[in-house]
Amino acid sequence: MIFTLAKKNTLIVEDFAEFARSVRAMLHSMGATDVEIVYNAEDAVEACKRKKYDVILSDYNLGPKKDGQQLLEELSKNGHLKSSCIFLMLTAENTTAMVMGAVEFQPDGYLAKPFNGNLLKSRLQKASEKKHVMESVNRAMSNRQWQQALDEIKEVMPKNKKYKMSCLRSRYKALRELKKYNEAFELASEITSQRAIPWAMEAVGEIFYLQEKYEKARDVFRNMTKEFPMSLEGYDWLAKIQQQLGEPLEAQATLQKALEKSPKALQRQKTLGAVAEQNNDSMVMTQAYRNAVKYGKNSAFASPDEYIKLTSAISQQLSKDDNTDSNRLINEVEGLFVNLEKNFVANETTSIRSNVAKAGFHKACNEDDKAEKYLQKTEHLVEKLEEQITPAVSLELNSALSKLGRDELAESILDEAIQQNLDDPEFISKAAKLSNNSELIAQCKQASQYNLKAINLFQKNNYPEAIKYFEGAHKLSPHNINIGLNYVQVLLKQIQSNGGDLKELPVAEKILGKLPTLNGEDSRYARYSELNRLVQLMVQKTSN
Amino acid sequence: MKDNSESIFNMVLASTMHDMKNSLSMLGESLNLILSQVDPELLDEKTKDYHGVVQYESARVNNSLMQLLALYKFENEQLPFNPSYHNLSDFLEEQKLRHIPLLDAKSIDCEIDVDEEIEGIFDECLLSTVLENVIGNAIRYTKSAIKISCSQQQNTVIEIADDGPGYPEQMIVLAGDYMHGINQSTGSTGLGLFFAKKIASLHKHKEQIGCIRLSNGGELGGGRFELIIP
Repeated sequence: MIFTLAKKNTLIVEDFAEFARSVRAMLHSMGATDVEIVYNAEDAVEACKRKKYDVILSDYNLGPKKDGQQLLEELSKNGHLKSSCIFLMLTAENTTAMVMGAVEFQPDGYLAKPFNGNLLKSRLQKASEKKHVMESVNRAMSNRQWQQALDEIKEVMPKNKKYKMSCLRSRYKALRELKKYNEAFELASEITSQRAIPWAMEAVGEIFYLQEKYEKARDVFRNMTKEFPMSLEGYDWLAKIQQQLGEPLEAQATLQKALEKSPKALQRQKTLGAVAEQNNDSMVMTQAYRNAVKYGKNSAFASPDEYIKLTSAISQQLSKDDNTDSNRLINEVEGLFVNLEKNFVANETTSIRSNVAKAGFHKACNEDDKAEKYLQKTEHLVEKLEEQITPAVSLELNSALSKLGRDELAESILDEAIQQNLDDPEFISKAAKLSNNSELIAQCKQASQYNLKAINLFQKNNYPEAIKYFEGAHKLSPHNINIGLNYVQVLLKQIQSNGGDLKELPVAEKILGKLPTLNGEDSRYARYSELNRLVQLMVQKTSN
Repeated sequence: MKDNSESIFNMVLASTMHDMKNSLSMLGESLNLILSQVDPELLDEKTKDYHGVVQYESARVNNSLMQLLALYKFENEQLPFNPSYHNLSDFLEEQKLRHIPLLDAKSIDCEIDVDEEIEGIFDECLLSTVLENVIGNAIRYTKSAIKISCSQQQNTVIEIADDGPGYPEQMIVLAGDYMHGINQSTGSTGLGLFFAKKIASLHKHKEQIGCIRLSNGGELGGGRFELIIP
C-alpha cells in the first residue's frame, strides 16, 4: 500500500507556531494540500465539529488548559473523529509515562520532537497500515459490540503477527466488558508469566479486583509498584484496594508516595484528601486539597469539590485552640469562597454545600450569628431543592450539619439519599451507621431485593412477574429513580408484547411524572428522556 | 512527604528543558527560513555544509538534554520504564530515518540487517534515545558506511558497526567505567555510553541484566557497539 496525503484533510494542533509551520512544510512535501493549523485544544474541538479530518497531529503540551490526551478523549467520546482518522501525538520528552497507563483512548502513535519528514512519513504510513488491518476490530470496540470484536480479533490476529499484542489488549478489554473474567485472567496472566509487561500486570490485578479477590489484587499491585515505580496507576489501584480491605492508613501512604513522584495529578490529590479526611488527618487533608485547588487552576477537571473540602479542612484546624497563624488561615478561607463563586456557576447542590461550609467556618471562628445566618439560608435552599444529592455529598452534609446542631436537616438529607441510592451497598452501609431511621433502612433493603429479583425476571422475559416485583419495590421506595425507570421500561415491554394493549400506560405515565427531576449531567438522563418520549408518544396516540 | 524543593527542581528542570528544546528548534527553523529565501542555485557547497552542521549540532544538544533529564529522573526514581513487545525491523528502520538528512549529506551508506519477524521486549522510547546517540557518533567517526543489525538467540543483540578508526583502546579496556572516557580534547563526554549502560541495565529478565559491549574490528573493520537486551 502506497501512502499519500493527497486528497486528505490534515489538522495540526500545536501551540508553538514555528514548529507547526515546519510540520506543515513536511506534510506538503508528502503531497498534502489541505493542512490546517490551530494553536490550542479548544480550537481543535471546534475545527473537528465542522470537518472530519483524515489525519490529526497534536502536540501533547498545549498550554494551560487541555492537553493532547484530553483533546483525544473529548473528540473520541463526542464522536468527532471518524474511525479511519489517524491521530498522532507529538511530544517534547520521554513518551513512556503517557503510554504506560491503561488510558481508554490511545493515539495511533507517539512521535518525540524534534523529528524530520522521513520519520513523520514512516509513522503515518505504519499507522495507516495498522488502522487498515485493525479497522473491523476497532469499529466493533468503539461501538461496544464486544462479542463482535472478539470474532474480528480471531480473524485478524493469526494473519498479523505484528499486531498480536494490540489484538490481545483489545481482546482483554472485550472479555472484561463481557464479564468473562476467567478468560480475561487467563489471557493477561499468560503474558505476565512470560514477561512483566505493565498493562498485562495491571490487567491481572484488575480481574482479581473485579472478582473481589482483594488480597490477591493487593499483592499484584504491590509487586507492580515495586517493579515499575513510575507506573502511577499501580499506586491508584493499590490505594483503592487498601481502602476496600479496610486499610485507609496504608491507602493514604500509597497515595502520598505516588504524589511525591507526580504532584500535579489533580484527581489523585482529591482522592488523598478524601482518604485523609477518613483518617482524621486534617494536616494531610488540608495539604492535599490545597494542591488540588492549586493544580486545578487551569484544568478542565477543576470542581467546586476541592474548594469546599479545603475550607472545611481549614475550619477544622481553626476550631482547635492551639492555632498560631489563624489570621492567615482565615484569609485563605475567605479567598477560597470568593474564588469558588468566581470560578464556578453554582448549581443547587454547590450552593447548599458552600452555605454549610460558610456556616462551619464562622462557627470555627466563634461567630455564631453569622453561622446561624448561613444555616438559615441552607434550610431555605434544601426546602426548594429539586436536584439529586449524590451519596458522597449527602454524607458530607449530614456530618457537617450534625456538628452544627441541625440534626433534623442532617437526617432528612441523608434519608432522601438513602432512598435514592438503595442499590449502592457501600453507601448504604455507611449511611446505616449515621441514620437513626432503621425502618427506612430496612425498607430500602427490601426494595433493593425486589428490584434485583425483578431485573432477573425481566431478563427471562417474564414481564408480568417482573412488574409485580417492580411495583413492590416502587411502593417501598417511590422516589428511587432507578427503580422507577426499570418499572416504566418493563411496563412498556409488556405493552409491546401484548400487541399494543395500553392498559399499563397510565401507570407508566404517573411514575415518570412523580420521579424527582434529573439534570442533563446525570448519567441516567438519556434513559429517562427516551422512556419519557416513548410514553408521551403513546399517550398522544391514544388521545388522537 | 519528601522535601518539596526536590519536586520543584524537577519541574524547573523539565520546563527549562522544554524551553531549551524550543529555542533549538527556533534556531533551526529560522535558518531554514533564511535559506528558503535564497535561490538554491546560488547556495554554494560551503553554505550547505554549514546548514548541515547546525542541524547536526542541534540534534546532538537535544539528545544530550533528553539523556540528562532521563538520568536525573532515574536518580530520583522517577524515570518511567515501560517494556513492551516491538518489531525490531520497524524500530531500527525508524532509528535510521532520524539520521537521513545527515547520512545523505555525508554520503554515508547505512545498511540495516534484521529479520522482519524478530520481536524484542524493551522500552521503545528509552532505547531510541540511546541509539540516536550511538548512531550519531557512528556517523561522526565513520569513513563511508554504517551497518545496523540485530540478532536474536537467548538475548536480543542490536549492533552498530562502522568503518571508522574504532573506539580508543582505553575506552574498551575501561569497559563499564565510561566516565573515564571523558576527554576534553576529543569532545567525548562519556554521557552517551554511560546513559546506554544505565538504560540497558533497566532491562531484566529472570537473572539476566541488559548490558552494552564495545569492540573494534567488527564486520566493517571500525568500531562496534552492541546493546544486549535479555
